[in-house]
Order: sequence, then structure tokens, then C-alpha cells
Amino acid sequence: MRDDLKVGVFLCECGGNIADIVDLDKVREELDVEFIGQFENLCSLNGRKIIRDAIFDHDLDRVVVAACSPISHEKTFQDYVKPLNPYLMDMANIREQCSWVHSDKEKATHKAITLINASIEKVKQSDAVDPIYCQTPDEVAVIGGGIAGMNAALSLAKQGTKVTLIEQSPSIGGHMAKIGKVFSPVKIAEECGMCLLNPILNELVWNENIEVLTNTKVIEAERRAGTYNLILEKSPRYVDTEKCIACGKCAEACEVEVPNDWNDNLSMRKAIYRPFGQSYPESYVIDMDNCTKCSNCVKVCTMRAIKLRGKPERIPLQVGSIVVATGHKLFDMEKRPEYGYTRYDDVITQSELGRITGVNGPTKGKLLKSNGEVPKRVVMIQCVGSRDEKPDGHKYCSKICCTVALKNANIIKHKYPDTDVLICYTDIRTPGMFEKYYKHTQENEVRFLRGRPGEVVKKGDNFIVRTEDTLKGEFVEIEADMVVLSTAMEPSDGTREIADILNVGVTEDGFIKESHPKIKPIATDVQGIFVCGTAHDPKDITDSIMQATAAAAKVNEYNYGGVEIEPFIAEIDTEKCIVCGECIERCKYKSMSVQNDQIYIDPMSCTGCGKCLNGCKQRAITVNGNIDEKIMSTINGVLSKKQEGERMILVFLDNIGYTAADNIGVNRLSYPESIHIIKVISVNRVRPRHIRYALENGADGVFIGEFPGDLMYDEVERKIQRAKDRIAEMGHNPERIAFSKVYIPYFSGLARKFNDFDEKIAELDSSK
Amino acid sequence: MSSHQKITDSPIDFAVEIINDVKNSKEEGVLKCVQCGMCTSTCPAARHSDYNPREIIERVLDGDETILKDDNIWNCFYCYTCHSVCPVGNSVCEVNQILKQIAIENGIGYEKLYEYMGFADSYFTAAIGAIPEIFFTDIDRDVPGWWDFRQHLDEIRQELELDPPLMPSEEVIDEVSKILTITGFKAKIEKIRASQEAENEERS
Ligand SMILES: Cc1cc2nc3c(=O)[nH]c(=O)nc-3n(C[C@H](O)[C@H](O)[C@H](O)COP(=O)(O)OP(=O)(O)OC[C@H]3O[C@@H](n4cnc5c(N)ncnc54)[C@H](O)[C@@H]3O)c2cc1C
Ligand code: SF4
Ligand code: SF4
Ligand code: SF4
Ligand code: SF4
Repeated sequence: MRDDLKVGVFLCECGGNIADIVDLDKVREELDVEFIGQFENLCSLNGRKIIRDAIFDHDLDRVVVAACSPISHEKTFQDYVKPLNPYLMDMANIREQCSWVHSDKEKATHKAITLINASIEKVKQSDAVDPIYCQTPDEVAVIGGGIAGMNAALSLAKQGTKVTLIEQSPSIGGHMAKIGKVFSPVKIAEECGMCLLNPILNELVWNENIEVLTNTKVIEAERRAGTYNLILEKSPRYVDTEKCIACGKCAEACEVEVPNDWNDNLSMRKAIYRPFGQSYPESYVIDMDNCTKCSNCVKVCTMRAIKLRGKPERIPLQVGSIVVATGHKLFDMEKRPEYGYTRYDDVITQSELGRITGVNGPTKGKLLKSNGEVPKRVVMIQCVGSRDEKPDGHKYCSKICCTVALKNANIIKHKYPDTDVLICYTDIRTPGMFEKYYKHTQENEVRFLRGRPGEVVKKGDNFIVRTEDTLKGEFVEIEADMVVLSTAMEPSDGTREIADILNVGVTEDGFIKESHPKIKPIATDVQGIFVCGTAHDPKDITDSIMQATAAAAKVNEYNYGGVEIEPFIAEIDTEKCIVCGECIERCKYKSMSVQNDQIYIDPMSCTGCGKCLNGCKQRAITVNGNIDEKIMSTINGVLSKKQEGERMILVFLDNIGYTAADNIGVNRLSYPESIHIIKVISVNRVRPRHIRYALENGADGVFIGEFPGDLMYDEVERKIQRAKDRIAEMGHNPERIAFSKVYIPYFSGLARKFNDFDEKIAELDSSK
Repeated sequence: MSSHQKITDSPIDFAVEIINDVKNSKEEGVLKCVQCGMCTSTCPAARHSDYNPREIIERVLDGDETILKDDNIWNCFYCYTCHSVCPVGNSVCEVNQILKQIAIENGIGYEKLYEYMGFADSYFTAAIGAIPEIFFTDIDRDVPGWWDFRQHLDEIRQELELDPPLMPSEEVIDEVSKILTITGFKAKIEKIRASQEAENEERS
């Protein structure tokens, strides 16, 4: 039986990280197992041999490694226990959750013994299972056709991967196409942006592995075993791209004029138009919101390319992975009326200045005010909407606007040396090589004033920019006839939308969140979805391209390697299942569906939370891995080591909460020795009967933590409340159960909660 | 100008004292100041006097307690403009109030407060903060027609079919007076008044 299994325990000293606090000799004395050994650094390559030899010599059935956190080394030791099945090993975390959070050696040693004992009891309930491998299809969808998306698509295509590039607007190119000149710090010069973009565009258009879909958006996404089923909606263009030769006769004939958004509304275009000179596809397009259907264009089009009727088309697309490159937009200046942007024509943004100075812009490159004169003094205001904690502002630095201001100031100075350019800044942020460009700009006689202007008002013909020259400590009013605002970069609407549709996490600022800001800057929190460019955070073209090509590498890594999934997920007994579908609705992770008249569970999205179990009247569902039994045995393993007068609190956390708890140790904060953390696959698997059992068998308190972002959060909260009610009915004190939110970054808060709960339980104990 | 920072100096203590004051609603705002001067660029007091809100924070962060004796701090009149524009969520306005409070506790600035005694009195006589009469001529000069408006307020309200303004009842006035007495406000006012009147007498 399970009790007869031979368990081997491997104690790691972890340099002195563990051995200095935990008395490992004592630990060895206290535990009764088939084999117990102590080693200096188990995770080193030697560890593999040590563990394997012991498994053979002692004929071990199960292994417990008492060392650091499974979050850091579970994979290592799962590998080191070969030829044993990886799931027959369990880790007791006596570093992050013992030696790093406690200082009293005697208590820490006893706690280590308890934790190891819990692991021993738990691992006896484990069975050999195989991880599930999923091979993903190698087609890729790249969403967003700006410089980032274009580069990701091109890199993938050149490596032989089929790519669909999905762009919502009528042309690919994104913001780079309209910037005009781009900064180039190493050359200390401004280069033609379009000239850099065009070769990439051409290469992309001719690559057979890439299909470009413009006017197209993703409207639905569903994930299944490493495959994404996307539904795209392609809006009609009303001009057949195959026939249109972009002669422009139609636009001449069209009488409807509307502001040209590509020129930041500084010029007009027709209802039938080409977004910009080099736009791709090389074809005109009708803006149906403004078209009057007069048919003038249809009549003049010799190619018969125009059709005024059309319906959006739905296109299904199946891919294995997705690159999100949906880019940014600029801060809405209506939110900062103090700068007068909406009131005065000559208060403009850097983007508009880029259009005005662009040779393909509204003034053909001439710097002119709205009255047609060249400005005498241009004042630039930095950090508009960035580094700003006021309502609707962004706390972050938009990173590129200092260099953009320098660029545009230089461009003005080259052409109009007599125009005075003054940049009002708080800090000039030009890291790395950009510092040289800053010096170059100063040499160009661009002036700088350290102060953040409070307002821009109009007095007579000029503006007055009110600011403090903080270096002089003087309030100044500066006359100017053009004011340029360096507005913040923020996630585009398309970025927010796609995050929602694909269910990927976003930052507090709405950018797509990477799965780890330091070491996984390209993967998102959803497997198989990657991010690049300004959809991720503010960055320049160079960084966008670097991240895009890195994303391509990551996609291929994923395509070749396949994905390995822990097998602790739900399974359907098709004999019993009557396909009533009760479970489908219940699953918060949308893992279940009906396929070929059977319930299908997507192994990639099932978390093993067990919610579906309740709904199934046929009892046709099981969640693999003896999870109930493991929780029960772990509880027993902890409580059986309880000493006279010892306070024992059981804390149940899933991966997120557990990581937060580890961080308490990593940051060397502390909490009471009474806290015993039990890691579970999903907090939902902790059942009322587990809680009741724990309280009736020696636990003084039970603490359950859940990340509010977890889809099961509300459910778990309700469940705990019900458990409390039941406990109260049975004459126990419900105060002994706590439910709390946990967040990985707020580990100090979690430590505080542990302390508070321990104090509360101590009070309850003493009043008893 | 040069200064010497001794190894034992702890300039930040002054800022921390201010942050811990009950009046501070902006948590660590003071420490987050980037010295951008946006407050100064919009501060009416800065435009018309040597008062400089950014410099207030600079000196607080420097641990420069001589600021408590600086006449300029009395030029801020709590319009809260700086409070609403500060990009890092600081409030010079509140910091100023705390500084003045510390100054007063140290017996500084009684002569400045004396001008405002009328406000304090109105709490006892009407249970609201009313504009003291000594300001009437100044206001009438700055806001033309104000005096006339004030004289005819009742008629204007009548014409607009508005009820007469709601004033606190005798009962409320009694209660407010009691609170102000028990909490020590009254004693404080009397102390300021006595010290100033004594000084005035000396001078005359
Ligand atoms: C004023 C200004 C000047 C600049 N000057 C420079 C410079 O000189 N040098 C430099 O290196 N950088 C400069 N930059 C930065 C540069 O613009 C960006 O780094 C670059 O454009 C980012 O490219 P991207 O592909 O990530 O995003 P974008 O250019 O924003 O492209 C995103 C694309 O995705 C599409 N899209 C969005 N949502 C969806 C959706 N849901 N579905 C389908 N498609 C979607 C959009 O239509 C767009 O085509 C400047 C930025 C500004 C604001
Ligand atoms: S049909 Fe529409 S696009 Fe064509 S000319 Fe008329 S208004 Fe312009
Ligand atoms: S890059 Fe410069 S202008 Fe832009 S937010 Fe950062 S500091 Fe402000
Ligand atoms: S506005 Fe705020 S951050 Fe800027 S100087 Fe004033 S207090 Fe400091
Ligand atoms: S509250 Fe005081 S410091 Fe702030 S803007 Fe008004 S007068 Fe200036």
C-alpha cells in the first residue's frame, strides 16, 4: 500500500543559506524514512548523480527534496530523479519559506521537519503520470502592420513560417510612415523615415510566406490545445486592389472633402483616397462614412475597379501562435486644456510638427504657422501627459519624446536658422548614444530651459508660455508664436481591444504585459502569444524592430519545441458522459467544448480547478493527480508534527500566492513560525471538508489567499464564506478562517497579513 | 554660496516630519518632487511676490528650517492651484499650511495671523467663516461693484426668487462656540490677540 512506499529525503544545505539556520543533523534524526542524506548544493550537476545513485541503491519509490522553492528548481529535480517519473518527486521549501523568514534556529528546525514531513505524506499520494505534449501548428498571425509587425512577419517568413499580417487600416506602415525624418543618434543626423521603411515594405510584399490583410481586424479568438481559431472581419475597400492602378482619377472626380487623418487633419482629402504615397496595397479606398454614393468616381475609373456596394467579410484563420504588434497612439490633448491646444491653431503636437516639416505633408515641408508665416520663436513643452500623476495622465516616461523634440528642433534649425527654438523640460532623457545627439542639438543653437510650463495663453498676436526657470528660481513669461507639445505615447485603442479579445494581461497603463519584465520580455501571460513594439511599452523604431525579431525567434522556439503541460487536468469518462453540457458553462477558463459529439477539454487552458466536477451529475469527470488526497495527506503531515502548545496555521496558496510568499523570503522579511504554506494547483481544490478536518485535528487557523485576477476568485470567495458559515454552525469560531487577496508584487503586504492573522489566532487561543 | 553637509546631518528628517503631519493628504508627495516648477508657473502668489512654491519644497528637502521664519511663506493664500497641477501628486499648499502651523507653534507669525482674527471671531458670532470687515475696502477696490452687490444681496436674491441665505441658528452657534472653546481654539485666538495688542501698545 501507499504507506509501504520507500521514500528518500535529500536535504540541501544551499551553501549555508539553509544549514546556517536549520539544524540538519536534528532533521535527519527526527525523520523516519528509507533514506535521508545531506548535501551541500543539490542543484549542481553533481546532484543528478547523488540522487540517481541513491534511488538505485535504496530502491526508492518516491523522493522528497528539501531545499529551495519549487518555483526555482522543481524542473531541475524532476529531471534529476530520472529514471523515476518526474511527478514522484516533491519539494519541501525550507529556504524561502523557512530559513529565510525565521531567525530562531530551534523553531526553524522544527518547522523544517514539519514541512518535510508534509512533503513525505504528500508524495506518497503521487502516481506516475506523463506530461502532455502539444505540438502547435506553425502558422502565425501577426496583428498590427506597423514597423514592429512588419519586421516580425518578415523575419518569420524568411525562416520559412507562414504568416498572416493583419492590419486594421487600409495600409500597412503604421506611425513610422508619417513621422517624416527619423533620428539617428549614431550618425547624429535625421534620416528620411520613408526611405528606411520602403525596402522593408517591398521585401514583405514580395515574400510568398506572408499574406497581408488590410482593413481587417480580429473579432473573435478561441484557443484549443495550442491552436488559435481566429475570426477576422475584413471591411470592404470598395476598390478592387487587383484592378486599381492608383491613377487617382477617382479622387479628382470626388467632390467630398474631409480632413486627412494621415496628415493629422492638417490638410484635406477626398472620400476616395490613397492613405499616403507609398501605401500598400497600392490602391485607392473609399471612406464610406463620408461617401455620398454619387458615383462620380465609378464613372471615371477606366479600370472599373470601384464598386460602391460591399459587405464585411468574415474569415476564419487557424494559427499556432500570435504576435501582437498593435502599437500606440498619442495622448489626447483635450485632457490638458491649460496648453490651449484645442483653442489655438498654432499650438500643435510633435506629431503634427513632423507632418508640417515632412515633404509629403500639408505644407510640403515648409514650417508655416496657420497664417502662412514662418514662426519667430517655437517653444516646445516636454512631458505632456507623461510623468504626470494628474487624472488621465501617465506616470511613466514616454521615453522617445525628448529625442523627438531634439530631432524636430534640429530640423527647424537646419531650414530656419533665424527661428528661435526653446525646449522647456524637466529632465532631458537621452540615454546611451542619444546624449551625443543632445550635445549636437545644443551646438545647433537650440535653447533649453529647465521648467515645466503651467499654461499657455494668447496675448495679442503671440502666446505667452508661463513657466519657472527653475535653475534661476525665476518666474518667466515667454513670448512665442508657435508652441509644440511633446505628448505622451499610450496604448492604441487596437491594443486595448486585442488584449481583451485574446485575454492577455495588460499593465496598469494598458500596455500588453510581458510574462516577466526582466527575463521574459516578449512572451505574454498566455502561452503562444508574444508582443513587440509600442503595444508593449513606449519605445523607438530601433527597439521596436529588435523586439519584433526577438518575437519571431520566440515563435519559432515555440513551434519547434512544442509545449509540455502538467497532466493535472480534468478528464472525461466518455462511457459515463451523456454530453449534457452542464460542465461547459461552469468552466471559467472556457476549456470545455463539444467536438465530434464528445466533451473536449483543452489541456492548454484547463487549470485543474475542479469547478466542472460539481456540475456533472453523471460523475463522468475526474481531475487527475489525486489532488484531494494529496491535500489531505499534506494537512496530516503538518499537523502530526504539532508540539505541545505550538500554534499551527495552514496557508493555502496557488502558484501566484506561493510566488508572493517566496518573495517574502527572497526579500528577507519575516513572519511567524506558525505559518505553514501548502501549495495547491488551484485554491478552488481546497474543499470545506479539508478546512473542517484541519481545524478539528489541531490547526489553529486556516488562511486562504487568491489572486483577484484569477477567474475563480469570486467563486472561491463565496465558497470560503459558505465554509465559514458551516464551521460556525458546527460550533467552531469562523474567525479562524481567513480569506485574502494576494498579489505577487505585494509580498510585504502578505507578510503583514500573516503577522496579523497569527496575532488574531493567538488572541483567540488565549481567550479560550 | 557653499555649504557643508556633515556626516551626521539628516536633511530628510524635516520632510519626514511634514509628511507625518495629519494635515498631509499626499503621502510621500514631498519626496517625489522633481523640482519642475509647474507649481511656481501657475501660483498667483509667485507672480505677484517673491514667494516660490517650488523653492518651498526644495528647502524642505534640504532640511532648511529657516524657512519657518521666512516672511514669504505667508504670501500663499491657499488657492490650491499648485495642489491641482503638480505632476507628481504633491501639494505645496498643504506643505505650506503645515509649515505655518509649525511656525505658529514656535511663536512665529502672530502678527500675520492677527489680520485674520476677524475670521476667527465670525465662528463664534455666526458659526461660519465670514469675510472680516477690514478686508471690505480692499475687495471693493479689486472687484468693482462688490460692495454695492453685498449691500443689496437680499433684494437681488428676492428678485431671483431665492430664499434668504440659510444662516446657522443660535443653537448651532452655541454648539460651535462650545466646541471651539473645548478644543482650545479660543484660548489660542486669545493668546495671539493678547500678544499682538501688547506689542501694539508698546509701539504706540
Ligand atoms: C511624434 C513622434 C515622432 C517619432 N519619431 C521617431 C524617430 O524619429 N525615430 C524613432 O526611432 N522613433 C520615433 N518615434 C517612435 C515610433 O513612431 C515608434 O517606435 C514606432 O512607430 C512603433 O511601431 P509599432 O509597429 O510598434 O506601432 P505603430 O506604428 O503604432 O503600428 C501599429 C499598427 O497596428 C495597427 N493596429 C492597431 N490595432 C490593431 C488591431 N487591433 N488589429 C489590427 N491592426 C491594428 C495600426 O493601424 C498600426 O498600423 C516617434 C513617435 C512619435 C509619436
Ligand atoms: S461615390 Fe463616394 S468616393 Fe466616389 S466620388 Fe462619390 S463621394 Fe467620392
Ligand atoms: S522622454 Fe523626455 S519628454 Fe518624454 S516623458 Fe520622458 S522626460 Fe518627458
Ligand atoms: S509642481 Fe510638484 S513636482 Fe513640480 S516643483 Fe512643484 S511640488 Fe515639485
Ligand atoms: S496654494 Fe499657495 S502656493 Fe499653491 S498656488 Fe496657491 S498661492 Fe501658490
